[in-house]
Parts: sequence; C-alpha cells; structure tokens
Amino acid sequence: MTDNAIIEINKLIKRYKGSDSNAVDSLNLNIQKGEFYGLLGPNGAGKTTTISMLCGLLSPTSGQIKISGLDINYHSQKAKSIIGVVPQEIALFEDLTAKENLRFFAEMHGMKKSDFISCIDIYLDKFSLKDKANKRVKTFSGGMKRRLNLIAGILHSPQILFLDEPTVGIDVQSRNVIAEFLHEINKNGMTIIYTSHMMEEAEKLCSHISIIDFGKEIANGKPAEIIQKNENCNNLEDIFLSLTGRRVRE
Amino acid sequence: MNRLKASFIKELLILSRDKAGLAMLFLMPISLVLIMTLLQESTFNKLSEKQLPVLVMNHDADTFGINVVKGLKTSTFFKITESDDISKDEFIEKIEKGDYLIGIIIRKNSTTQITRSIEENIQKQFPEEVGQLFESYHDELKKPKVEIFFDPVLKNSYKQSILGSLRHYSAMVEAQLMFEIYSGLFKDMLNIELKPAGNFENLINFDEKYASSGGNTIIPNSVQHNVPAWTIFAMFFIVIPLASNIIKERNSGVSARIKTIPGSVITTSLGKASTYFVVGFIQAILMLMIGIFILPLFGLSALQIGNAAIPLLMVTIAVVIAATSYGIAIGSLSSSEQQSSIFGSISVVILAALGGVWIPSFMMSDLMLNVSKISPLSWGLNAYYDIFLRSAGIMEVLPNILLLLAFAVICFVVAYFYSRKIRV
Repeated sequence: MTDNAIIEINKLIKRYKGSDSNAVDSLNLNIQKGEFYGLLGPNGAGKTTTISMLCGLLSPTSGQIKISGLDINYHSQKAKSIIGVVPQEIALFEDLTAKENLRFFAEMHGMKKSDFISCIDIYLDKFSLKDKANKRVKTFSGGMKRRLNLIAGILHSPQILFLDEPTVGIDVQSRNVIAEFLHEINKNGMTIIYTSHMMEEAEKLCSHISIIDFGKEIANGKPAEIIQKNENCNNLEDIFLSLTGRRVRE
Repeated sequence: MNRLKASFIKELLILSRDKAGLAMLFLMPISLVLIMTLLQESTFNKLSEKQLPVLVMNHDADTFGINVVKGLKTSTFFKITESDDISKDEFIEKIEKGDYLIGIIIRKNSTTQITRSIEENIQKQFPEEVGQLFESYHDELKKPKVEIFFDPVLKNSYKQSILGSLRHYSAMVEAQLMFEIYSGLFKDMLNIELKPAGNFENLINFDEKYASSGGNTIIPNSVQHNVPAWTIFAMFFIVIPLASNIIKERNSGVSARIKTIPGSVITTSLGKASTYFVVGFIQAILMLMIGIFILPLFGLSALQIGNAAIPLLMVTIAVVIAATSYGIAIGSLSSSEQQSSIFGSISVVILAALGGVWIPSFMMSDLMLNVSKISPLSWGLNAYYDIFLRSAGIMEVLPNILLLLAFAVICFVVAYFYSRKIRV
C-alpha cells in the first residue's frame, strides 16, 4: 500500500459477457486520502464500470481493488461501510418524500435516529430543500432531485465518496451549489472520486485527474501539471480532445 | 433488524400511495368474488340443491297415477306441478317454452292396464288345468304408457334421474298391485283372507352421510367455492405490484445504490416481502369476512369456514408466502415493468384456471384434473376445501402446505441466483 493511498487499483480488468473487448483494461490507479479525484473519459471509456467495481456492484474479471487497505473481493462489507455513492441515475424513491427517502437510506446505513433526524434537517436546509422536505420526490425538478440524490450519498458521512456525473442535466445554480458543497466536504477530509463530462468543472474541482479511454489510462496527474505538459492546450478540455480525439462516441 | 424495518416501512409507504395497485389488490378481488359468486350461484344450485321443475298431467285417478305423483312430490329433487285440465298440445308447449324442464303424462286407465298385465303373467304361472283365473282382455289394453317430454337443454344425468324415480315408484305400485291380486287369489282358491299389504316403501334404508372427519356437513356451493378461490387469486395478484416495484427500483438505480450499503440484500428483499405478506394476509381476512358477512346480504349463503383455525391460518400463511416469492421471482427475472405485468398477470390467470379457480376442479376432465395438480393455486384451494368442507386438521392439509412452501423456496432461490448472475 502506497503512503496515504486510500484506494489502490492493480491491473484491473473487466470484460462483460459476450463482449470481445475489455471495458476496463489493466487499469492501475492510486488515490490518496483527501484527494478530489477526477475520473474522466468519453462515453464508454469505462468510468462507470470502474466506479461500479469500486463500489462492489460489479465483480472484476481480474485484478485487485483495495479500499483503505481492504481487498474488496474479501472484505466488501467493511469496505462498503466507509464509502458513499451518488449514482448517475436519480436513485431515489419517487413516491416517498425527501425526508422519507433520506430516513430510509440513513436507517439502511445503520444510523441512529437521534443522529439522522438533525443531520437530515441540516442537509435539506443547506441544499435549499427544507420547504420541500415533505413533498414527494416525483414532484421535484431535475436540480432538486440531483441535490437530494447527493444528500442520500453523504448522509452517513463516508470517508470516500463516489460521484458518477453528479451534475448532469441540471441548471447552473444547482450545479454551483453542488460544486461548492463538494469542495467544502473535500476540504474537510472526505476523499472524492468523481466522473464527469464537464471539463471546466473537473478542472476547477479536482486535485488529481485520470483520463481513461477504451478502459486504459491515457493521462494522470494534477490538472495544472497535465495542462502545462501539453504546449498546444490551454485547458483540460483541449487536452481531453487531443487525447481522446474529436470523433463522436456512441 | 433496522434494515428490515426500514425496508418494510418504505414498502408500506410506497404501496399505500399506489392507488391503482391498491385497487388491484383489494377492489378487483372483492368485485370478482361478488360477481363470480352471484353468477355461479344458479349453476351450483342446479348441480346440487335446486329442484327441477316438472309438469305432470295425470289422467289415471287410480293406484298407479296417484302413487307415482305422490312419490315424485316427496322427492326434494323435483318441483312437481300438476296440470290435468289442459290439452296435450298446450302441455308440450309449456315444455318447449322452457317453463318446465320435464313433462310427464300418465295415461288414463294406467292402473287397470298394469293390473291386467300382472294378471296375465300370474295366469302363466299356473298349470292349464287350473283354468282361467282372470278375465281375458284385448291386446291393446295391455300397454300402459307414461309419456315423458324433456327440454332439449336438459343434461342426460337429469333425464336418468327422473327415469330412475319413475321406475322406482312404478315398481312400488306394481308390487302393491301384485300383492293385491295374490290376496284375491288366496281368498278365491283357498278361502284365506290375507291382511292388508304391508309397507312396500323403503325396504332398504340408504343412510347418506358426507365424508367429513369433523362430522360437518357443509354442502359445496357457489360461496364455498368462490370465496377461497378468489381469495387465493387475489393473494397471487400481489405478483404484479411486487414485481413491478422490484423492476422500478432496479431500473431507477435504487437497488444498485442499496447494494453499495453494507448488509445482505436478502434483508432488504425480506423487508419488501414482509410488506406484501401483510397485504396478502389482510386480503385473505377481508375476503373471508366478505364471504361470511357481506355475501348473505346478496341472498347468498354465508361462508362456512369450519372450526379448524390453526390449519386455516397455516394454509393462508403458506399461500401468501408462495405468492410473494413468485412475485419476487417474476420481478427478478423480468427486464421491464411491462414484461413483468404481462407475464405476471397471464401466468396467474393460467395458474388460476388450471388450479380450479374459474371452474371448480370437480367439473374438470380427468386429464385437466391431473394437469391442475401442477398449479400452486390448486394446492391452496384444495387445502381450503379440506378445511371448509371436510373439517381437515393440520396433518390433512400439511402436504399442500409443504408444496406451497417448496414452491416459495424454489422461487426465492431462482430469484436470488438470477440476481447474482446478472451482477456480471
């Protein structure tokens, strides 16, 4: 285990049944504790597959994943107890209210009632959802659902937070609130692994990025360093396009 | 335990807000049990209790005519209407119109004709030297005739029933007449005065009993069939909202999110199953209550549930567990809500048809009766029949309970391993 590494990925391979190529192909990653780690790549690059394996939702074809020193193949329950997940989809119960949803996830995480009651109120207030606390999720706008989706993933104060495109399809205000909040919790010590297609947002938020394509890592480092290394590129988006090409995927 | 409770409460809240789902789980079976029981009432009555309307025209005001009509009237199977003052054409018209299913015309002088036939046969028993014992008659007088008209829709079993009754009462009259003729001969030839004939009726007693261990004699009728049948159907209809709920959670990413939380997936599945178990149990209680208290308000008989409370409880629990597990299996195997609702509803309807919900198994052919044994609804229904009609105890219903539980285990195992398999 590398010093201070909270996630270690060694020669990780994932091949789906019936597929003739690897979705994730011998990927090696080392994510340090407290990092805001951006996992970037075009559609189908293998970002979500990697996150799914890190969360224990998919089994790797081969390779090793260690979370806080625990091999996820053997200690998945312990590893799961320190992670939080904010999936790409709005993974909430549409027929429950915001409060009922959060209460359910808090109880599933084994939180005590005395803890989660106040915690829920604080987060709802922080994300401007307090007055909608008792409204059903199906009546919410896209931005409100995204914010609630995020709260459900961080309510139990995980050490590591996986975010799979958390700001997709929402307005600037909601995106800004989410970005500011993520920056804040990262500053307070939470390790964040984040996938996004928003290069500007990733450049601003991430302390470290890894660009992957066809399941392989093609760039790795701090955003500023990567930009500096490529003379013809002014920002992350230029680098992204130069590395992954301008051809439309999927 | 907290996860189980959280999952249970969550499901309960979601289900309580699903008005269409609730209507399907409660209103549909209530409507079905009311409609089907009322619709099948007359069919069941025809099969068991209802008297067949019979029109009788008796032109023989003598021993035969009087006793046959009297005999038919004592039968609880026939409702006899006498009509002696209409023409034969009018008589037949009443049968044709369907006012009566059977018409019987007893011809004039039937008793005399029977008497003469008996006399002729007795005469043949004596040697010729004895000479003529009775008056000699023309041939045409020796043909007593009872004409019977049937409604074309009448089933063969009913025809055989009326013919059997007529033969029975005719035989009694013939025996009586024969006894009277022999009495006359004894007096004429031997000068011995015989006492009046004894009772020729019921020389053999048929003691009818229902084979029921508890001594209950509850007759299977529309209520006794339809209430348990549609109760089981309703419980199995849990499959549709349950499977749909599972798929909705899977497609929305909620179930994946839950899988990222430490703890067994089985706990959350059990939490979900518990909610539907409670719903199924409430359905069963509600449906039985309707059978006991509501159906009589529609002029139907009240449901008799016997006095075997523990077996009834155990069968109900087994049916709900089987239905819930089936729902979980359908939800796990289907890839879309549409697929699960189509497959779920069609499969339940087919299993219900096979299981004797729509048409009772005793009306099925031998082939279909054997096929029906593969349906879990048939296991549940037979167990209810055993309890309601035959006062069965736990041991008698245990085979069906075990079958239902085995079905539940298979469904749960299939769902569990399929869910693991798709986690590639």
